[in-house]
Amino acid sequence: MAKKRGRGVAGCWYGIARTATVDRAGAWVEIDDGGTAKVVTGVTEIGEGILTVLAQIAAEELGVRPEDVTIGDNDTARSPEAAHAGATRQTYMIGNVVALASREAFGKLAQVVADEWHVSPDVIEAASGEIWVGGTNHKMSMDTAVHLAKSRGVVPLGSASFGTDTTGLHPVDGAGRPWQAYVFGCQVAEVEVDTVTGEVQVLGIWAAHDVGRAVNPKGVEGQIEGGIVQALGQALMEDYKIDKGHTSTPGFAKYILPTSLDVPQITSVIVEDPDPIGPLGVKGIGEPAMVPTIPAMMNAIYDAIGVRVTELPASPEKILMALKDKERTENDRRAAAQAAE
Amino acid sequence: MPEMRIEATINGRKIARAAKPHQRLLDFLRDDLHLTGAKEGCGAGECGTCSVFIDGVLFKSCMVPVGKAQGKTIETVEALTRTGELSVLQKAFHKAGASQCGYCIPGMVMAATAAIRINPFADREEIKERLGGNICRCTGYQKIFDAVELARDVQNGKLPVTALAEDETADGKYIGANVRRLDAPSKVSGALKYAGDMVMPDMLHLQVLRSPHPHALIESIDTSEAEAMEGVEGVITWADVPGEDGFGVFVHDQPIMARGKVRYVGEAVAAVAAEDAVIARKALSKIKVVYKLLAALFDAEAAMQSGAPVIHDYAPDNVTKHIPIRKGDIARGFAESDLVVEETYSTQPIEHAYLEPEAGLAYVDPDGVVTVISPSQNITHHRHMLAKIIAKPINKVRFIMSPVGGGFGGKEDMIYQGMLALMAMKTRRPVRLVFTREESIISTAKRHPSKTVLRMGLTREGRIKAVSLKMICDGGAYGLSTEGVMRKAAILGAGPYNIPNLQVDTYGIYTNNTPSGAFRSFGALQTQFATESHLDICAEKLGLDPFEIRRINAMRDGAETHTKQQLKSVSYLRVLEAAEKASKWEQGAPVSRGDRRADLTPVGEGVRAACSLGARFEANGKLEAAE
Repeated sequence: MAKKRGRGVAGCWYGIARTATVDRAGAWVEIDDGGTAKVVTGVTEIGEGILTVLAQIAAEELGVRPEDVTIGDNDTARSPEAAHAGATRQTYMIGNVVALASREAFGKLAQVVADEWHVSPDVIEAASGEIWVGGTNHKMSMDTAVHLAKSRGVVPLGSASFGTDTTGLHPVDGAGRPWQAYVFGCQVAEVEVDTVTGEVQVLGIWAAHDVGRAVNPKGVEGQIEGGIVQALGQALMEDYKIDKGHTSTPGFAKYILPTSLDVPQITSVIVEDPDPIGPLGVKGIGEPAMVPTIPAMMNAIYDAIGVRVTELPASPEKILMALKDKERTENDRRAAAQAAE
Repeated sequence: MPEMRIEATINGRKIARAAKPHQRLLDFLRDDLHLTGAKEGCGAGECGTCSVFIDGVLFKSCMVPVGKAQGKTIETVEALTRTGELSVLQKAFHKAGASQCGYCIPGMVMAATAAIRINPFADREEIKERLGGNICRCTGYQKIFDAVELARDVQNGKLPVTALAEDETADGKYIGANVRRLDAPSKVSGALKYAGDMVMPDMLHLQVLRSPHPHALIESIDTSEAEAMEGVEGVITWADVPGEDGFGVFVHDQPIMARGKVRYVGEAVAAVAAEDAVIARKALSKIKVVYKLLAALFDAEAAMQSGAPVIHDYAPDNVTKHIPIRKGDIARGFAESDLVVEETYSTQPIEHAYLEPEAGLAYVDPDGVVTVISPSQNITHHRHMLAKIIAKPINKVRFIMSPVGGGFGGKEDMIYQGMLALMAMKTRRPVRLVFTREESIISTAKRHPSKTVLRMGLTREGRIKAVSLKMICDGGAYGLSTEGVMRKAAILGAGPYNIPNLQVDTYGIYTNNTPSGAFRSFGALQTQFATESHLDICAEKLGLDPFEIRRINAMRDGAETHTKQQLKSVSYLRVLEAAEKASKWEQGAPVSRGDRRADLTPVGEGVRAACSLGARFEANGKLEAAE
């Protein structure tokens, strides 16, 4: 049999937002003419889908639709600090602060509408461009509500800041509270190893990740799938070669990346264990998605052919060499056993 | 320079205009016709971001000299939306969530359009094959395959057109709904402008002279000949830095351009701004730098030896950062163990390979505000650093984050923005810099290569009593994010397990290799690779199922972490159970059961078919065609 199948598992954990320091983010929100909304915060897409996530959050909190929300781009001279796009912090830090600022803006609008209807602002509800009081005939469009507010001299604005309760690490024993939210994950890999060519193909991955609360499940899957394929690259093929400071892999002909033909089928299982601290219960997924992938694959290779790869990548050359070593060891053992008899 | 005249039909419009013989079709489309939907990802025909149709056939326009366009009919991604509406395939990309950073997407859309034009009934495997020449670094391709299948089925009438529409959302509850990405239309249509697509009136083009040596003193730099060239508007070196020169995510040890010494191959030494990039590149060759070579370090462990050459004066031991974590009594823990296993794990340096190479545009605005537009992942910190470097108050420095064509941590470093700012200040004109792929690979950070020695002691029942973990990472020539990477690697390295006795040490070390920096999963990937491999080795020796050994040791609600933090809710057991169930895992110790397992998955139920493209060697060594 030249082709051997095997399965392996690995777990992981990860901290959300900046490590061992106080993280923070700010946002401004305005419920705008026509029942639209402006969200201004220092953030720009790096591809993860944060603009859509923030529009969803603002829309639900303000009672408008995501397509009504305009998100201000990241500009140090025009928007409040939201700091960097990294550390699996965007949904957590910026998502939570946009929710808080939206609540403040909505509170201002709700007060005007409540005064108009002579009810308490607490009973005002809104969704998808309409604002009403449940169980009554009080109802108007957000467009009208904003117009009403402005006629009373009120621009419905909100602003907020969200910071973490975290500490640095003790310099001697590392004690400290590096994050306030943690996520956990587990992946199973199924591989096929060609023992003649040494090639490993990853056929399937099952990935279960806690994300706190999935704002956009398809976006979460996209992060998991993308993370797994990046990890597959490191596990099996990618290798930045450097000799005496000079690289021999300065382009994609030499630095090999996973293509559409290398990728496994991926089954994502989203687990939601809400964060008890932030207002939304959200956590994150960007980085942890790729942490268990490589050991799950290496454990699967071991399951398939009895070879333990401890030095990445598990290239065909390395697999073949390890198989030869294994064969030699087994032959030696057999010979020794025969000699002993 | 001689000129040629190109007559062609481009996106349905006849054009006749001058072109330069050295131009590629990609340059002609982007620079002369302002069709920036086709992107440059590699300039070598390897990534597909520049895909266009020539007479209806898919081509990589970076490989086509402009002369080849003579008399041809050319379609770019912009042609697909000529009616003002997205094509069925573009709508399917929107619906399926097939775009993330979006930089590869115009090319991917072209390749996918070609795929279902050639075979309107292509199955998923054929679609994969037809997209094989286009690289995507973000999506993992799954949602792209979904999109092409969706478009195929809508085109063939197997699915109604409404399958492309937004899913209904109940009662304004948008949190938890699969709202389509708001930025997808701009990405699938090629309309979104990344920094390298942006132009400004009177814009100059920047090119960078880079070090050919890993470690050398700079004895002199003579820029006079370059400065005298026609079309050259400015040359800068370290001497043009007015303030406190130094950047880095944690330690500001890297100058904007080499200051008296180069520490890695590819480090910026000088930069030229000229009317076009060709002149700027020519001018680089006129800059004379005299180097005095120094002994260099290429191995982190060698760099830790006493007497090793010193790379940064402030760190005479070449240690960028050491992070220790201690808990319990490690000696007692190992003494109480029934099984002690030690193994060494190593990982290689990895390139981020975002499809968008670094690019940026800087100008000084009428109020004297130095403004930099670039796909920076951390404009807040960049503003702080640049203000010090150019000695200006912080509100006279403005950073604008352009759409990021993939970052993964690689665009957290202020590796080129300082040069753009200095040149804009010097020339008083807007300046743009666009890296080539080669420049991006040699000069920017990699994932830290690592070597981890892991020792674990367990009881017969599989309970972990003690762990010692020591990781040494090659941080390369500058600090960048090394300190943070060492910290995260240390905190998370031993995994989500209760370990009463623990000793973790992570070391980031200076060498003269390409600097290492932030990369998605930031050190935790390296150490947890070791720990999660190790648990399987121990499980085999103890005859335990791999899920079981993890469950026995799993942190639970209220657990205390390795840094002695009390956790509230811990979901580890839940994710273990979820993965075990979803994969229909068959219990058993990890003893290389392989083909003897009963839980290997039938194709279509969670695994793809093994790829059998091309020829395969059979076990007897003879070459056979694929089945």
